[in-house]
Amino acid sequence: MVKTPRRPGTAIAALATAAVFSAGFATGAAAEYPTRDITMIVPFAAGGGSDVVARNIANVINGLGLLPVTVIVENRPGGSGAIGYSYLAQQEGNPYYVGTVSAGFYTTPLTGGSPVTYRDFTPLAAIATDPFVLAVAAESDIHTLEDLQAQGSLVTGTSGAVSDPTMLAHILEDILDISIQVVPYDSGGEVLSAQLGGHTDFIFLNPSEILPQVEAGELRAVVVTTEERMSRLPEVPTMLELGHDVTVQQLRGLLAPQGVSDEVVAFWEDILEQVADSDMWREQYLDRFLTEPAFLPSEPFGESWIATSDQYEALMRDLGIID
Amino acid sequence: METLGFLMAGIGAAMQPGILLAILVGVVIGLFISVLPGLGPAAGVAILLPVVVGLDGTMAMAALAGVYYGGMYGGAVTSILLGIPGDAPSVMTVLDGHPMAQQGRAGDALSMNVLASFFGGLFGLVMLVGVAYQVARFALAFGPTEMTALMVMALSLVSVLGGKDALKGFAALALGLWIGMVGLDVIGGFPRYHYGSMHLLSGLEFSVIAVGLFGLGQIFAAITQPPLQDSQKIRYTFRSLIPNPRELIRCRWDLLRGSVIGFVVGILPGVGATASTMLSYAVAKRFSRTPERFGKGAIEGVAAPEAANNSASYAAMIPLFTLGIPGSATTAVLMGGLLMIGLQPGPQMFQQHSEFVWTLFGTFYIGNVALVFLTILLIPVLASIVFVSRALLFPMIICVVMFAVFSIGYSVANLWIVIVFGVLGYVMLRLDYPAVPLILGVVLGPLLERAVRRTLIASQGDMMVFLQRPIALTLFVLTALFLLAPLAKRGLAAFARHRNAGS
Repeated sequence: MVKTPRRPGTAIAALATAAVFSAGFATGAAAEYPTRDITMIVPFAAGGGSDVVARNIANVINGLGLLPVTVIVENRPGGSGAIGYSYLAQQEGNPYYVGTVSAGFYTTPLTGGSPVTYRDFTPLAAIATDPFVLAVAAESDIHTLEDLQAQGSLVTGTSGAVSDPTMLAHILEDILDISIQVVPYDSGGEVLSAQLGGHTDFIFLNPSEILPQVEAGELRAVVVTTEERMSRLPEVPTMLELGHDVTVQQLRGLLAPQGVSDEVVAFWEDILEQVADSDMWREQYLDRFLTEPAFLPSEPFGESWIATSDQYEALMRDLGIID
Repeated sequence: METLGFLMAGIGAAMQPGILLAILVGVVIGLFISVLPGLGPAAGVAILLPVVVGLDGTMAMAALAGVYYGGMYGGAVTSILLGIPGDAPSVMTVLDGHPMAQQGRAGDALSMNVLASFFGGLFGLVMLVGVAYQVARFALAFGPTEMTALMVMALSLVSVLGGKDALKGFAALALGLWIGMVGLDVIGGFPRYHYGSMHLLSGLEFSVIAVGLFGLGQIFAAITQPPLQDSQKIRYTFRSLIPNPRELIRCRWDLLRGSVIGFVVGILPGVGATASTMLSYAVAKRFSRTPERFGKGAIEGVAAPEAANNSASYAAMIPLFTLGIPGSATTAVLMGGLLMIGLQPGPQMFQQHSEFVWTLFGTFYIGNVALVFLTILLIPVLASIVFVSRALLFPMIICVVMFAVFSIGYSVANLWIVIVFGVLGYVMLRLDYPAVPLILGVVLGPLLERAVRRTLIASQGDMMVFLQRPIALTLFVLTALFLLAPLAKRGLAAFARHRNAGS
């Protein structure tokens, strides 16, 4: 839900400080770390969004030799993330375990399905952000938000009952004063099928799911939830431009168990910043998955956790899932 | 014709040694993983994915897809020999395959599995290449309303699988429906019947249920029985392991219907190969002139579901390659693989990466043929299991089951779940409750529930939508005909008798 537009100048400056910092760090007290391989826990199955981020981060770190040791990705799926996150939380104080952040990280504890919450983890850094695109069928009469408003009552599909698109649909209901029926599907693939088959009027999905359909002329993008227009959709306005203060983005980043030292956090901030600035990351992740770059250090990333969790909690109260 | 040319070029391109090796590795891994009870193609693809992403794109995808369709061949082996489904789509194969093995016809059953798998696979492949785009469009027309109608039809068809005692059948179905509800409710967003346990939060793994219910349950029952007499032991000759073309001709309609059903159901988003095997088994039984043989070793009962699951495995890839939509858990992992090697699946994939797609399709054809030979080669090795004494075999099977079940997400909870279902399976066997309605409830129940609720959310509670959409209405009418046909037949017969008696 947070964005940081990066300018080339600051990137270089940041890289320079990072280099100096890590040089100093290497001769410091914790010069030993890391001496063993790092295990990166993905609390979801292989092939999913969270897994793909983890594997790409690991690929870049290993490929560019950013660490003297290897990063090993391990999937611990189950319980909508509860199993993997609980396992990770048990590694308290162990700097050789890191994990990925995804929607289940916030929502599963809120439903009471997980014994651990975001408070049991240390934020390391965010490295990319996935915004949302509102799309309609290419042959639809809806071209703008006003057209959407004129419909009065609409049907949309979301992946799961509690998700960013659910939240966005509720926000649209409020700001446009319309009624939206939100139909939860099992997966993003089913949401897309329902939209292409004409069973829903519009959908919110991540660019990697929407853009291939837009470029093939199947769907039309109406509005995006980024701060500034997306480079791949230059003619599509943002919600901000249209006068609605709505920017919803999913931050992709890493976390560690509770109780790791500040040095370890700083070390990972530096590593992840190097990943974010690398060409390999841009080519293998950002360009392929149509994700926006966004480096966010530990502290603001941690603040975003609180904000995101609160937003989900409010949404779930709205939906009557929790009371 | 143009398509044929592309395909030939694709098969030619797939003949490179590196790609051939990738196919071989993929299908062999698929075979073995699906032979392990509980571990299915989705797990196999997920396990292999991180290993192959470093390879060249075509090789990586050839291997991954090989695991997927290779798994459809292997799952039936343990279903037939041990009565333990190797993976979810081969659960229905247990029903007649295992009785066949117990009657000493393991060879016939295993070779029918190979033939049916090949036939269904070939059907799926021809359709994949021939009409992929058109059928993908058609499948999109299936929204929640149509899915509701289809599931009602499916449940009415599978009502023939209830067993002798209708009341016991419905009790088992109700239990299955309840088990299907365990976990996070996709529509409401809250957990149901998880009793505060995070291990139940994402629901119960269907393959774990099936392995416990059929596999362990049956072993527990066998342990409490006196040892088999020599005359009752399973025997077969190696000659009987060679596929017999005459059986193929005998089961031609079951194979064809199974392939068609597998294809149609497989292409629909979110339904899956397992549901297609249930439907095709039910249809085979309904169309059979001797339905009473089903469940007691009817070879059609092996042919129909095995043709369906192989056909479905290729059909499931159609939405992925034509529209860029993963319709099932396994194709979602395949899509992850495509993305990781730098290909964006989408409507333009055929145009933008046509050479890649056709080469990949070429590997499917090669893989399908390779699997026939591999499976036939492996059958004698695998089939020799029946010669192992029960004192050695049962502990070994239980160990393998436990290992396989544990390796699904390294979860100790799954071990308890499989034991609980093993005990349940034993109790049901002893009390003569059929297990099939239970698994139907677990698989079809959630599909029906979600379809109904999605329809009613979109229509804001208006029930009339079910009758306003042409496909849904057609399916409902067909269902009514299916249900009423036997009644009408009996009524007409009674009427005729009455008239004959009167005149």
